[in-house]
Amino acid sequence: MDKRIEKLLPTVQKPARYTGGELNQVMKDKNAVDIRYAFCFPDSYEIGMSHLGIKILYAIANERPDTWCERVFAPWPDMEEKMREQNIPLYALESGDPIRDFDFIGFTLQYELCYTNVLNMLDLAGLPVRAADRKGLAPIVMGGGPCACNPEPIAEFFDLFSLGEGEEVNSEIMDLYAVHKKRGSTKEAFLRDAAGIPGVYVPSLYDISYHEDGTVEAITPKDGAPATVTKRIVRDLDKVYYPKTFVVPFIDVVHDRVTHEIFRGCIRGCRFCQACFLNRPIREKSPEVINEQCKGLIEQTGYDEISLCSLSSSDYTKIEELLNLLLDWTPGEQVNVALPSLRVDNFSDELLQKLKSVRRSGLTFAPEAGTQRMRDVINKNVTEEEMLETANIAFAGGYSAVKLYFMLGLPTETDEDVEGIGLLAKKVVDTYYQNPDKPKGRGVNVGVSASSFVPKPFTPFQWEPQATPEELKHKQQHLKETLPSRKINVSFHDIKTSFLEGVFARGDRRLCAVIEEAWKRGCKFDSWGEFYRFDTWMEVFSDLGLDPAFYANRRREYGEVLPWDHLNYGIPKKYLIRESEKAKRAETTDNCHNKCAGCGANKLNGGHCDV
Amino acid sequence: MYETRLWLSKRGRIRFVSHLDMFRLMTRAVRRAHIPLWYTEGFNPHPYISFLLALSLGVEGEREPIDIRIVDDAYPMEQVASALNAALPEGLRVEAATVPEMKPAAITWGEYTVTYDKAELSAADLTRALESGALETEKSGKSGGRKVMKKVGVSEHIRSWSLEETPETLILRVVLPAGSVLNLNPQQLTDAVNAYLGTAAAPVRAVRERLLNADGKEFR
Repeated sequence: MDKRIEKLLPTVQKPARYTGGELNQVMKDKNAVDIRYAFCFPDSYEIGMSHLGIKILYAIANERPDTWCERVFAPWPDMEEKMREQNIPLYALESGDPIRDFDFIGFTLQYELCYTNVLNMLDLAGLPVRAADRKGLAPIVMGGGPCACNPEPIAEFFDLFSLGEGEEVNSEIMDLYAVHKKRGSTKEAFLRDAAGIPGVYVPSLYDISYHEDGTVEAITPKDGAPATVTKRIVRDLDKVYYPKTFVVPFIDVVHDRVTHEIFRGCIRGCRFCQACFLNRPIREKSPEVINEQCKGLIEQTGYDEISLCSLSSSDYTKIEELLNLLLDWTPGEQVNVALPSLRVDNFSDELLQKLKSVRRSGLTFAPEAGTQRMRDVINKNVTEEEMLETANIAFAGGYSAVKLYFMLGLPTETDEDVEGIGLLAKKVVDTYYQNPDKPKGRGVNVGVSASSFVPKPFTPFQWEPQATPEELKHKQQHLKETLPSRKINVSFHDIKTSFLEGVFARGDRRLCAVIEEAWKRGCKFDSWGEFYRFDTWMEVFSDLGLDPAFYANRRREYGEVLPWDHLNYGIPKKYLIRESEKAKRAETTDNCHNKCAGCGANKLNGGHCDV
Repeated sequence: MYETRLWLSKRGRIRFVSHLDMFRLMTRAVRRAHIPLWYTEGFNPHPYISFLLALSLGVEGEREPIDIRIVDDAYPMEQVASALNAALPEGLRVEAATVPEMKPAAITWGEYTVTYDKAELSAADLTRALESGALETEKSGKSGGRKVMKKVGVSEHIRSWSLEETPETLILRVVLPAGSVLNLNPQQLTDAVNAYLGTAAAPVRAVRERLLNADGKEFR
């Protein structure tokens, strides 16, 4: 490690974020590898080290004898300040080497508000933030993750994006790079070839033209780039590589445990949910494979908790079988099993009994909307009866705290729908007091968390206007004023944060200039309340002559060319329009287990879908 | 069931792992090493691992005592060290596992080696500061329930010190209070020296070599 870094570490908060050296980190001889890969998470160490994707892709890259993949996180502002003072460039944790000399700098893009951190990290590395200003072959700056589905607001900072699941395509990109590096190619030559790999989007190979009203006129590929780039998926989760070990952080991170993904995709088709539509088709992993891999990871890491994750864990068809396998050995090893993301309508008594045998935490439900009409619009197919029945099972099982998640600003939402949130929460309170088997001598605690709905690409609501900050303010106020019980605690998401998220989610390439300018004026860590500078952002929009409301609050016509129309996530626009129209009529679509709705995503997997 | 005292060294960059994080780290290491540790009883059982004295963030340690309880009498004490060493991250090592001889409360002094860069602090200045008898530092404390900074004398608590020079560094060997009654760490000593001299020196390295009891005998 650089002596200068060692000297400044005692003066910053949580210095163990910056030392590397954690258990199971991968060390290699840098002279014995051809490719140096910096895997960057554009947020703090604690957030980044909680992310499963980085663990998977880190392990896969390091399986390659020719590659050394290392981790990089955004230094907290106190550390950044000291690094800038002393001209210490951004370095990778394992080797301590500056990442500007690496072959690849890969960013995972999990949420829109991390964009300024991407620029800040490139700059801290000593690199120009714009791809066009980075002339040599290396480093190739690439991006992936959910935000890659509409990467236009950051397109000019990246050389390429990898769409969909990265397990296989990342290696194909590295193989191609190795050939070009040997050949002494230019970056342009490499990128032209890379655009031929399925799932790889090279933004510089597409020209965007605009109508006078600011909407996109056309997206034109050049130099042989494909007209449409289709996301990648892995076909068989049992066969795809899963890490045999995790890097175990020294400091307490947000999710500090063994995490195991039990299936990909979601059968529910809630119309607001981008994760559902980005991750289809459904692919389940078998209980035996999950169980064996969990055993290995517990052995390697010493963790005492396994979290089974997915978009809706109780929809996993073999959940009981899996829990039986896990609960066979975990209690004896003092290991807890956690099962987040449960549905309220198929949460059985047996499942509750199984969960009770492990550690009990709070119970969380996500009705998302307060009235049945509103839930039908968003296709959240749960009824009030189902919810209260589940609450009863939980209360009888000893729970006395429930957290309910809702969204405000959903399409067609009225004040009555907003009031419905309070009424539903009140019914949960009443259910508790009417339950003869409730925990003795304890009151109930119902928490309501109301976030702001942000329309996202590739969902049936991608054409909808986001509620304006003023409208959202009114809705929050109205919910507070009409709350029918004091046993209910409400918390809200910050409206200004949701607004910027809404702008970037459906933004176009012209926003690159806004993001660059905002970063130059000091914006970073925008998802952290203490660093978010809303007024600066608004000044930048105004100075550059772009209206944020054009992106966030405007209704799009079905015929409009959307900035992400050249990217394909497997679900045709036709299907999304059909769902959008059904939403307007408050008609629901059955879940995939009951009846295939024909979303078309199975074509990505040779016609196969695990339902 | 028997109790054993582990003597842990903490060297290199792992010195930046805090006391609280060390506990979690050791818990995972004993799990990986399959050491039959005694778990506390109750709702959330956790392994019994007792760090006898916190080591300040950034300070290395040569012989830091940790008490653990082994439930299986047939599990040899020597194996505790070897099994743990195979499971610990770089920089941590169990140097020995012994039968505890003294009670944890016997810890009174810590012997430190603190290295300074001569460009930041001269031998003459450091000697003058240490001989002044007027060193003091600030510690956060409470007064009437409010948080306040309190002046704490340093000079009167230094048990002994000696100074050695290399071409570029000053090496201070110093015995400072450690334990449940009063604690002074190398950073506080340095702060006091800086306050007295008007300098801004930072230790290049600080190592706690060993712990002593009230009589100045090595803690065992």
